[in-house]
Amino acid sequence: MFSSALIPILALVLFPMLVAALLLVIRADGPRRVLVVGAAILIAAGSILLAVQILMAGEIRLNLGLPWLEYLAFAVEVIIAAYIIVKGLLYRRVLVIGLAALQLIFAGLYSFTVSHGMTIYAEVYLDGLTAIMVLVIGIISSGICVYSLGYMRDFQEHANAGVVQAVLKTINVTRGVLRGTGANAEGHVDNGGPEDALEDGADAAPGARDRRPVFFSLMFLFLGAMFLLVFSNKLSWLLCAWEITTVCSFALIAYTRTEESIANAFRQIAMNLLGGLAFSVALLILGLYQIGELNLLVAFGTNAGLLNISVALPIALLALAGITKAAQMPFQSWLLGAMVAPTPTSALLHSSTMVKAGVFLLIRLAPTFGFNANGMMVMLIGALTFLFCTLLAISQRNAKRVLAYSTVANLGLITACAGVGTPEAIWAAVFLLMFHAVAKSLLFLCVGTVEHRIGSRDIEDMDNLFVRMPALARLMALGMFVMFIAPFGMLIAKWAVIVALVETGNLTLLVILAFGSAATFMIWAKWLGKMLAIAQEEPSVEKAAHRSELLAIYLMAALTLGLSIAFPFVSEYLVVPWLATSVANFFLISPAEWLNVTAAIGLDNLIIMSLIVLAFIAVFATFFGRGKKRQVPIYLAGLGLDFEKRSYRNSFSQVSVASQRNWYMDGWFGETALTPVANVMCVAILILGLAVATFAMFSGVPLEGVFGL
Amino acid sequence: MNLLSFLIALIGFAVAAPVLGCLIAGLDRRISARLQGRVGPPLLQPYYDLRKLLAKDDATVNRYQGFYVALALALTIFSGAVFFAGGNFLLVIFLLTLSVLFFIIAAYSTRSPYAEIGAAREIIQIMSYEPMLILMAAAFFVATGSFDVSAAFALGRPIIVVLPLIFLGLVFILTIKLRKSPFDLSSSHHAHQELVKGITTEMSGRTLALVELMHWYETVLFLGWVGLFFIWGSWWAAALAVLVVIVIYLLEILIDNTFARVKWQVVLVSSWAVTFVTVAVNLFILRIL
Repeated sequence: MFSSALIPILALVLFPMLVAALLLVIRADGPRRVLVVGAAILIAAGSILLAVQILMAGEIRLNLGLPWLEYLAFAVEVIIAAYIIVKGLLYRRVLVIGLAALQLIFAGLYSFTVSHGMTIYAEVYLDGLTAIMVLVIGIISSGICVYSLGYMRDFQEHANAGVVQAVLKTINVTRGVLRGTGANAEGHVDNGGPEDALEDGADAAPGARDRRPVFFSLMFLFLGAMFLLVFSNKLSWLLCAWEITTVCSFALIAYTRTEESIANAFRQIAMNLLGGLAFSVALLILGLYQIGELNLLVAFGTNAGLLNISVALPIALLALAGITKAAQMPFQSWLLGAMVAPTPTSALLHSSTMVKAGVFLLIRLAPTFGFNANGMMVMLIGALTFLFCTLLAISQRNAKRVLAYSTVANLGLITACAGVGTPEAIWAAVFLLMFHAVAKSLLFLCVGTVEHRIGSRDIEDMDNLFVRMPALARLMALGMFVMFIAPFGMLIAKWAVIVALVETGNLTLLVILAFGSAATFMIWAKWLGKMLAIAQEEPSVEKAAHRSELLAIYLMAALTLGLSIAFPFVSEYLVVPWLATSVANFFLISPAEWLNVTAAIGLDNLIIMSLIVLAFIAVFATFFGRGKKRQVPIYLAGLGLDFEKRSYRNSFSQVSVASQRNWYMDGWFGETALTPVANVMCVAILILGLAVATFAMFSGVPLEGVFGL
Repeated sequence: MNLLSFLIALIGFAVAAPVLGCLIAGLDRRISARLQGRVGPPLLQPYYDLRKLLAKDDATVNRYQGFYVALALALTIFSGAVFFAGGNFLLVIFLLTLSVLFFIIAAYSTRSPYAEIGAAREIIQIMSYEPMLILMAAAFFVATGSFDVSAAFALGRPIIVVLPLIFLGLVFILTIKLRKSPFDLSSSHHAHQELVKGITTEMSGRTLALVELMHWYETVLFLGWVGLFFIWGSWWAAALAVLVVIVIYLLEILIDNTFARVKWQVVLVSSWAVTFVTVAVNLFILRIL
């Protein structure tokens, strides 16, 4: 009964963990590089192999039938809880300790009492969605791991330089004090961030502690856990993987061990433990119904009206877990705080792992949503998150923060789609997930490299990047185009969302989406404009980035473009068949829209978009920058002096400098103005949703009866 | 929308729209002049202007600006062709948004402080009117059951009957799209523009000629949207649509000449408020009925 998929399945879970263990002990740069690159290639190849197998089989179900695996999962959770509790004791975080302990108790109860005698039909379940997730995790995360090689070397050097500088500063300050001039004479004290690149001081430095083995080990452990997460149909395994990813991101966020990073790591783990706690409560409740599998739960949820049992509460709790992990409002602050980590961590958390686990669970649950209380809760949280986080992104100057808000916003859109739960909406959710994964990783990797080269992540400092770093600026522009404009992916998915919303008559969401989309244009267009500005100087040479960084960036760019061209095929041969069989089969009596699933916006329009992308490539390759017109300086209200600085001699013969900053409209869209409002709204929706679901369970009324339309 | 009808529409729009747009622009200037107590230029003045621009010395501030503008123009034509071929309304809007984006990038690429302010203001304008456009297309679906513009011709009554408030919303944001006062923040044809020439500051010669041409195409396309509200499956629908378009454009000229320019805050708040109210009320009433 073991299918041939068993080997790649086991390999994809266990191999990254093995690599993680090896990386922990390897301290030299050379062997680490070989191991990381080799493992990345193997994992990517393995994931492609498994995805092909899934596609050929349609669905793969496996049952290992090893009872001790249940206890292994519990043992892992004990280790995780112990780790969290120790950390919590060290840093005195009572809330975190409490949450971890509580969850451990629930998990123990489940493993040792409830789960006994429960029939499990398929511990592992793979379908079209799994195939997509496997490709996203296997290829994109591997690329990010390769990227980290170069990035972390710079990062370490900067950290070392920071230490050297701090030492020098202390000496100078001491001297100053001795001389009686006071410490202030030394000027500003730097925080030792990457802003000051003392490249030459790196080798001679006593150095910050090199914790890179831990970093790389965590990255690969994360990968293995993500694979386990998307493979698991058995809920207790899913929870186990869920918790490993939480803990891994905790450790990755706290990597730099600064006060801020530790605070943010604890914020992350507190919020995600809350989600995990909701997950384990759901698990216990489901245990009472003898439901131990995600598939079974979705089937019961989908046909709740027919079967006359209510699984509304466990589904609502799992949705809550998904919402925390996907950093939806009011939980968005953990993902924003995660920005303190090195950029590859951000790229990993944002594009291919962690938050994608959250929306993966929500998409899995999507058939049970729709116009019922749970669906309403999920779609409203998602839609409001999309609107508010997009508006909030307008007010941000920090490039990584803009990316973070845009991630949360796009995940909001995916969440809203899952909440709507029609085939069109799920189609859109899957494409949003894919395009977001490739484009966001491209953007993060570019921003990371740019940050190390120009010494800033402020958007205002990216002025003229088009000339200063030609290749990177163009690739970043590509990533941004894919994020918001036709004919590229995110917009096509948004188009599908509009269709789905109009067809279900969902006016509220439609209005929210329309306003959010307009704000999306604002955040990307103004950044693009700044970046693509051209000072009238000869191009300066692009400072060399690490080869591993460029390799990963080119890989992401190729994936982004490839997906933009190939998505009609992806839709036709992967997403639509998955919806029409695997998802549609959950319905005992299919509602009308599930009888004939097609792509949400018609194959002809998809192909038009794909052709426009191709035409763009041709047009850009042929004409971009080939203008041969005579060049003249720009107008500067006087005699232009330095066009890089935009200085000119004005009518009083004095030198003036024209400066122009982007619009951030902080008073309108700033965090102090919007975040509290949004948080209150979303908390209220969550409480209301959970209350209705609880009522539905205890009154035994299927959810459709409680709040149907 | 099949390939043949698209190609016919593409050629037709590419050829006819500039002629029409040029005449509209000429009339606009004459009527505006009369409103201001002047005689005004000849009807074909916009055409003479264009010819003069094309004959100018071909100089540019960078190697990319002309490319961006040409791409913006091409996308406007493409978008118009999809519309007049009866294609997907959302596709029309998305292509037009892409076109404006390239226009904005063209301005930003110069790194001129004046062009940058103009471009930033253009972004604000887009943010102001974009929700209305998307919701208009959605409302079109509610009224016709399809996103295809051609669906209007199969109706028993024009969509204005069911979407009167949406139409008002469109007319409101049309003033922004046509870059007319009081919403001509990014670039203005009036003398009261203090930012040199806003978004087109650094565009000259042939590049500026393309911008003018794009404006003509856009005008015809936008007026096509206005006319769409009065189209149904009747032989005299087209006549009514043309009449309404003329009235609406005259109204725009009147507005242009009677209002002083407003700040961006007013543009953003007023157009979002108008969008929200018209769409919500109109679609909510439809839902109840």
